Amino acid sequence: MPSDTALTVRNLKTYFYNNNRCNKAVNGVSFSIRRGKTLCIVGESGCGKSVTASSIMQLLPELSRIEEGNIVYHAKTGDVHIERLERNSDEMRSLRGAEIAMIFQDPMTALNPAYTIGFQIGETLKYHTAMSASEIRTRSLELLRDMGISLPEQRIDEYPHQYSGGMRQRAMIAMAMACNPKILIADEPTTALDVTIQAQIFELMDNLKVEYKTAIMLITHDMGVVAELADEVAVMYMGNIVESGTVDDVLRRPQHPYTQALLDSIPVLGRGKQQKIKAISGSTPDAYDRPVGCQFAPRCEKATIACNEMPLDTSITTSHTVRCWHPRDGAP
Amino acid sequence: MLTYIIRRILILIPMLFGISFLVYLGLEFTPGDAVSHMIPPDLANQVSAEKLEAIRESLGLNKSFLHRYWSWLSHAVRGDFGHSISGGVSISKIVLDRLPATLELSAAALIISTILGIMLGTYSALHKGTYTDSGLTAVGMLGVSIPEFFFGLVAILIFALKLGWLPVGGRLMPGMESWIDHLPNIILPALVLSLMMTAGVMRYSRSSMLDALNKEFVKTARAKGMPEWRVNFLHGFRVALTPVVVIIGFRLPTLIGGSVIIEEVFQWPGVGAEFIQAVRGQDYPLVMMIALFSVFAMLMASLIVDVLTAWIDPRVRLGEE
Amino acid sequence: MVSKALNKKFDRIKAREEYGIEPKRVRSRALRKLLSNRLAVVGLIIFSIITLASIFAPLLTQWDPGKINLRAMLQPPSAEHWFGTDKTGRDVFARVLYGGRVSILVGLGSALLSAIVGVSIGLYAGYRGGWFDTVTLRISELFMAFPQIILVLMLVSIVGQSLFNLIIIFVVSGWGAMYRLARARMLSLREEEYVQALQSFGLSTARICYKHVLPNTLGPIMVNITLTTAMFILAEAGLSFLGLGVPLSIPTWGNILNVAQDIRVLQNNWWMWLPVGAIISLFVLSVNFIGDGLRDSADPNLQG
Ligand SMILES: Nc1ncnc2c1ncn2[C@@H]1O[C@H](COP(=O)(O)OP(=O)(O)OP(=O)(O)O)[C@@H](O)[C@H]1O
Ligand SMILES: [Mg+2]
Repeated sequence: MPSDTALTVRNLKTYFYNNNRCNKAVNGVSFSIRRGKTLCIVGESGCGKSVTASSIMQLLPELSRIEEGNIVYHAKTGDVHIERLERNSDEMRSLRGAEIAMIFQDPMTALNPAYTIGFQIGETLKYHTAMSASEIRTRSLELLRDMGISLPEQRIDEYPHQYSGGMRQRAMIAMAMACNPKILIADEPTTALDVTIQAQIFELMDNLKVEYKTAIMLITHDMGVVAELADEVAVMYMGNIVESGTVDDVLRRPQHPYTQALLDSIPVLGRGKQQKIKAISGSTPDAYDRPVGCQFAPRCEKATIACNEMPLDTSITTSHTVRCWHPRDGAP
Repeated sequence: MLTYIIRRILILIPMLFGISFLVYLGLEFTPGDAVSHMIPPDLANQVSAEKLEAIRESLGLNKSFLHRYWSWLSHAVRGDFGHSISGGVSISKIVLDRLPATLELSAAALIISTILGIMLGTYSALHKGTYTDSGLTAVGMLGVSIPEFFFGLVAILIFALKLGWLPVGGRLMPGMESWIDHLPNIILPALVLSLMMTAGVMRYSRSSMLDALNKEFVKTARAKGMPEWRVNFLHGFRVALTPVVVIIGFRLPTLIGGSVIIEEVFQWPGVGAEFIQAVRGQDYPLVMMIALFSVFAMLMASLIVDVLTAWIDPRVRLGEE
Repeated sequence: MVSKALNKKFDRIKAREEYGIEPKRVRSRALRKLLSNRLAVVGLIIFSIITLASIFAPLLTQWDPGKINLRAMLQPPSAEHWFGTDKTGRDVFARVLYGGRVSILVGLGSALLSAIVGVSIGLYAGYRGGWFDTVTLRISELFMAFPQIILVLMLVSIVGQSLFNLIIIFVVSGWGAMYRLARARMLSLREEEYVQALQSFGLSTARICYKHVLPNTLGPIMVNITLTTAMFILAEAGLSFLGLGVPLSIPTWGNILNVAQDIRVLQNNWWMWLPVGAIISLFVLSVNFIGDGLRDSADPNLQG
């Protein structure tokens, strides 16, 4: 294990059991996140990105379970197997917020409307550090200022509804960064915000990565963001990572037909109106009635009988892995 | 905040006009007119027919309906609510005499049902799906299904008649001085009266708490590594509380309505028992006035609830809607 | 890590899916939800039993509920008189059965009438807006400002006691809630595309309101009807218990309970009031179970 790896996920399976049915939302996912690097996870809606993130934090809803696989957090003091911890046990709680922090998609609902921003930031510090009340306040002010909120002395005592959407997300990041976590998980942190604010938030996150060597796991739909921010990319489809590698690997030399289709389906700036934009044919299968083998096979042009069996993860290069029987650059 | 309260009070005024008009309309439909209601009956015998007519004239009672309504209203606003037919006592005196007993009973029931209801409902929500939760839900359903007076009868039979632990009814026995003395008297009626409300509050607290626990910010609190008690109580419960306070306000009519029958069952000498006597005795002015008072009390209660919720919710407190 | 009980449940579901056993399905989703709600089914059964027993009272008892029999006064329950007899020797069981007819009629009838009045005004007001909406809204507010029992008692004192009057009074006190509900639904549906499309086809207001929007508001209205029925049955019982509801000559559940105002009856003749009180509670409970089941099956947000 390289020493700069912060978190390793191996063959993670997380299933949901709502309505007396089993939904294999995440079905064998492996990846790792490294210090000072950003891993972007992309994939269409419902493919299991958020569930993967929630599994790492053990923030899954009641009717769900981590079936198998490992989630290993590489702490200074040794490895911690997160999947073996009780959901709300002391060990799990001492990781959350302090070592691994998470920010959510919608800053409108992720902050408690009944408490001031200062209170909600201070809470984290209160539980994970030995700071006194006045130290907590100083640190909260400093965090807000670092996140680019003007007049923090005044803003700290305001309620979330007095903040704009972008400011709320900054406050969320301030909250997440309060204890200098080693890993920051951001689940579509800018979907609810407008484009200029998005850019600012991403710049902020990029600075954090460089400054604090935080490992970032960024979930997004936006390929532009991937190209801009990511060091590594993992493409998910129906509960599997179908392709992963460095940005260059995945964006320039996509191997999996799904990745190719995904890249073909987005317009590229500067190519003019003539460019071919192809929507991916077919529709996402029913989560309760998943294909047997390769999940993408029913929509794939290259599908053959072989695809009725789940392909193995295959290395194209040392950094580039694909899960397909028919990758672009020849058979595995 | 102050402007909010003032605005809220201003809204009440047309409402009160409407209600008083409705009540006066009712009075007009009943036998007798305002003069016979205004003059104590024992005096009325000494007053000659011409004189009555003169009073009618001077009060404008021979004038149009709206005119009569107006003069009735202006008396009422000045605290002159007329006299009861049967006793000839002034209505305001009757109500003021009876009010403390009713307030005492309702307050006791309100406190019991609020505390008990919120506690049980929250407990139920935090233990969702367990046997305790199902049990509490079933008991709650039973609570809103049993007629309150029937529950009162059963309670009297068991605790007063069979076991002899508590008095059958009444409020102040001769020689009772302090409230401690009549504490045993209030226990049964207050518990019985609070039953339906407790069940309602419990049910509502449960769903409100479940609602709050499903909110995204609860997940945020967990993601920050907060301990469960803090997640549940500081984040979940605190937010769940606001709608519960509102619903308690909405439920006050059940309490006021319930107290009418419960006062009768336990011979509690309150406004409700008096109201039933008045209905039985066809003492129309008294019936109408008590009805008017009850509406007034309800409107005041809803005002207080609104102010309270505004105070709990920073969004309203800080002057945004 | 999950609790043991959940673990077991999950394993069961997973195993079942792996062997491809599908749970059996009832056609309509709402009906399926209702039937899968055990309490709602229990409620439906109790409701049907009590209602049918009241309707077919003559088949179930040989006694005439009004027949005075001075030789059989104050008898405790026996094989002959299941619920005993009252002070004038009338059979209490027969009175409970026949009383159910009136009580259920008053409860259900008033609730349905309230719904008809409230919903038709509410839909129209919500659709039309303007002065009609404002006036009806204000009127409903006035009526709803009264605590229900007080409004009812006040009206009873004005118009006098009779079965017919009581139903009318209940409707007067109960239409407001239905009106509010229907109006609110209409206001939100009015903005939806399909209603706007209907408008552009030039359909008449009445047709849009009652033919097209009404079916879409039926779910919440049904829930409200059940809850209102429960409320009116309790109200009838309370009023009649006080002697201010249905005239005492007609047996109703409340009127039977009226005797319990006498503390000697309360203490010594339990059979005259305890069984009927229990039946009222059971009946109202069953209605509440049904209402709850309907609420869950009508609400798509409450799956699981
Ligand atoms: N709380 C939940 N209860 C039940 N099923 C859930 C829950 N959350 C997610 N799922 C299921 O898990 C699967 C993966 O969902 P997930 O939220 O991870 O998708 P996602 O990739 O994050 O999509 P999006 O881009 O829309 O956020 C879906 O089939 C979804 O139905
Ligand atoms: Mg997601």
